[in-house]
Amino acid sequence: MRRLAGILPFSGAGGANRSPEAGRAVERLMRPSDTIRELDPLVIWAAVGLLMLGLVMVFSSSIAISEGSRFTRNQAHFFLIRHAIFVSVGVGVGLLAFRFSMRQWQQFAPWLFLFGTLLLVLVLMPGIGREVNGAQRWLNLGPINLQPSELMKIFAVLYAADYTVRKLPDMGSFRRGFMPMAAVIILVGFLLLKEPDFGAFVVITCIAFGVLFLGGINVRAFILLAIVAVIGFIVLIWLSPYRRDRMFGFMDPWQDAFGKGYQLSHALIAFGRGEWFGVGLGASVEKLFYLPEAHTDFLLAVIAEELGFVGVVVVIVLFAVLIQRAFSIGREAIKLERYFPGLVAMGIGLWLGVQSFINMGVNMGLLPTKGLTLPLMSFGGSAIVANCLAIAILLRVDWEVRQLKRGVTV
Amino acid sequence: MKKPGAVTFNHNPLLAKGLPVSRPRLVLIGLLLGSITLVARAAYLQGFNNDFLKAKGESRYARVIEIPATRGRITDRNGDIMAVSTPVSSIWAIPPDAKLTPSDTRQLAGLLEMEVEDVSRRLATQGDFVYLKRQLSPDIARRIAELKLPGIHQQREYRRYYPSGEVMAHVLGFTGIDDKGQEGVELAFEGDLAGQPGSRRVIRDRRGQIVEDVESIRGPRDGQDVALAIDVKLQYLAHTALQQAIETHKAKAGAIVVLDVRSGEVLALVNAPTFNPNNRANLSGAQLRNRVLTDIYEPGSTMKPFIAALALERGFVKAETVINTDPGRITIGRATISDVKRHGPLTVAQVIQKSSNVGTVRMAQHFAPDEMWRMFDSLGFGSPLGLGFPGEVGGRLRAAKTWKPIEQATMSFGHGISATLMQMAHAYLVFARDGELLPLTLTRVSETPTGAKQVFSVATARKMREILELATGPGGTAPKAQVPGYRVAGKTGTAHKLEGGRYTNKYISSFVGFAPVSDPRIVVAVMIDEPTAGKHYGGTVAAPVFSRVTEGALRALGVAPDAPLVPLQVAGGNGEKRETPRGNM
Repeated sequence: MRRLAGILPFSGAGGANRSPEAGRAVERLMRPSDTIRELDPLVIWAAVGLLMLGLVMVFSSSIAISEGSRFTRNQAHFFLIRHAIFVSVGVGVGLLAFRFSMRQWQQFAPWLFLFGTLLLVLVLMPGIGREVNGAQRWLNLGPINLQPSELMKIFAVLYAADYTVRKLPDMGSFRRGFMPMAAVIILVGFLLLKEPDFGAFVVITCIAFGVLFLGGINVRAFILLAIVAVIGFIVLIWLSPYRRDRMFGFMDPWQDAFGKGYQLSHALIAFGRGEWFGVGLGASVEKLFYLPEAHTDFLLAVIAEELGFVGVVVVIVLFAVLIQRAFSIGREAIKLERYFPGLVAMGIGLWLGVQSFINMGVNMGLLPTKGLTLPLMSFGGSAIVANCLAIAILLRVDWEVRQLKRGVTV
Repeated sequence: MKKPGAVTFNHNPLLAKGLPVSRPRLVLIGLLLGSITLVARAAYLQGFNNDFLKAKGESRYARVIEIPATRGRITDRNGDIMAVSTPVSSIWAIPPDAKLTPSDTRQLAGLLEMEVEDVSRRLATQGDFVYLKRQLSPDIARRIAELKLPGIHQQREYRRYYPSGEVMAHVLGFTGIDDKGQEGVELAFEGDLAGQPGSRRVIRDRRGQIVEDVESIRGPRDGQDVALAIDVKLQYLAHTALQQAIETHKAKAGAIVVLDVRSGEVLALVNAPTFNPNNRANLSGAQLRNRVLTDIYEPGSTMKPFIAALALERGFVKAETVINTDPGRITIGRATISDVKRHGPLTVAQVIQKSSNVGTVRMAQHFAPDEMWRMFDSLGFGSPLGLGFPGEVGGRLRAAKTWKPIEQATMSFGHGISATLMQMAHAYLVFARDGELLPLTLTRVSETPTGAKQVFSVATARKMREILELATGPGGTAPKAQVPGYRVAGKTGTAHKLEGGRYTNKYISSFVGFAPVSDPRIVVAVMIDEPTAGKHYGGTVAAPVFSRVTEGALRALGVAPDAPLVPLQVAGGNGEKRETPRGNM
């Protein structure tokens, strides 16, 4: 029966409304009075919670800089309005994405990945890509700027899952299972480092090889590769004192507190000032021009200062809930032999987990400073839309699993 | 599964291989361990290491800032304001923040009244702080604030303003750019005038704006007002009279002091040349000098009355005792002292009236050096008056045992001894006050100060008043000192200036006197330095100034006239002598 469902072709062509059940679920989702039984409430609440807290904190952390900058025409709501629009667009895109079945997503996956790679090439073209602060990461599309590397993360999840499922019989083979993916990642990685966007490179590499690992890649080959990578990395760092300084400068930001350690030292001060319960919403001093990138990369520092340890723990717990649910949904899907959706769900969990861990680790001085935003929270249109898309796909997997468990074919 | 039409369920190789179950669990545990690490790190930063981090934060944006206290005002004895602090603004910049467009810079430079290049140069300096311009009027400061330029800030300050301008310049002195006294009363009374600035701890954002008041450490205490003894009416009067005399006699400099006989208060103190304390650009040292207190000169004949008084006090002469001054000169050792003309026999009173050097020396020869020294000392010569005025000097009075006879002789007519004009005026208080000397004060006092000491007897002092009145009468050296309606007394002085140890043909003309004679109310001392318009006798240069100041002052003070209605004044009598020391000193 399940198999039948699996191979049953969809009626009609294209479009979103192919599955009436999905449409009904979306309608139910938009009517808050109805209890949601067909979707994981924890995923929804955690995601909504992070989005809303992010919206509030983006406003709080950006109010001073937007009011005091000519670039924003001194409008205090500059970033708030934009972030609210991004979140709205993200939710809209998410609702739309939910209507596509996982089967369709699997069909799209290689093409989306190809499309994303094309965008990464485009962004490097002089005259097309837009450069900000020495990094060429944005495509200018009239009123909005698109950041392909953010979209590439969700595309990488879909592609890696599809690849793994397609190559399942070859997972034991280093040459046939591992090498093709490694080649693809080297290509994409090259494009990302060319921008440069080291953060996105790390996240996408983690996603790709993480999904391969989950898909059962030969563990010996994997470990071998990991050892080679680590040794190469160490050699690279040891050879260049400059790189070594940059790499380990984060361990003692006070050594050069007004130079390289400036940003991190202010982030740490923000944490210290926040104490257990914070200085209160809006009362951060660090956001008053001291802490650069307070509304993007260092949003957590402002949360830590204004809402204290409690606020930080709430954020960590909400992310932990999302990750745990993603893996749990993925496991259910795999139990039902829905390998692609299962790997996608876990891939999304991996993505959110890795990126949020790196961002928070950087904020707390556990990791070297890298340009990564806090998923679902930091200011940034492409990132928010990509995150919403990921949550929508995760919910779609969950919904399909629930439907399957009830014996409803999807 | 996803690949349509691959294999049948039972022969699916995926089932045989399966997806590893343990790996997702491993990854999930890894990620959740990451979360726990983050929680632990956050707890360490926020709950345990927070004191260190907060201290680091404090050091970056907490500042102790000063709450400025207003400097006390200086008023004259009637409460008229002589010096007051007005609020101004200083414009400063944080150069790294001040990224101005060329038009912004032009606008700013225009308001600051500075060159555009100058502003740009200052904004290009290294560091986080640079003054663009200090002490701007609040109006301009407001217009600069309205430009809302990044990195340009203002600081509230106070600037000292002196409404009476150059008239009071030497008395008041001035403050520096940091509102601290640098000269004159501003420096002398710094302790009273200066406020105690308060301080509070604030948190500033990186652009310097205060965002939070942490605590007030100390409240500001405004400075106290200082009421001077100076009467601004008399001060203006003296200033005008002096300026006019300087002009008439083409003199280099001059000074006038008016003292209140009853209280020892300094009612007026003027110098020329003077300066405008509100605009101190291009000042010269000569303008800044307060000659009354900081310059010593050889007083000349104005010293003679003290010798006569000592002689009367000792009782070996009376006012009527005749001293023979023939042949108009006297030889001591190898030096000869002479009078301007041969006077013949003179009474003690006439010696003073006609200012005979020989007569004075004859009297002085009766005293032991020590005796004369003690008198000079008790009159306050040789040591500063202790007014607390910056730069005040005490003049030169050598120890008695080093005196040679010739020196004792020249000192009797005011050479070989030096004093300030203030010391001369002060010493004349003994005649005006029945032999009693009072300490002087620059500030207004409500009661007669203690510390008066009797130098001469009442009888001697009264007799001396009569003698000194003769000097301003017909046959005296200074009839031009007379004041209609009042009886005045005083003594002229015309001294050669001592330059590089030698006497030159430059003069200091002076007159020290008091009025009214029946009940003295004021002492007035006038000094004109280097009159070059032909006349140089104290009686012709300084005495008319004395007359003018005394008349105005007595009327301003409402002193009742004591002279008979018939005017005494008969022009003539220019019996002034040149007191030229002829000795080899």
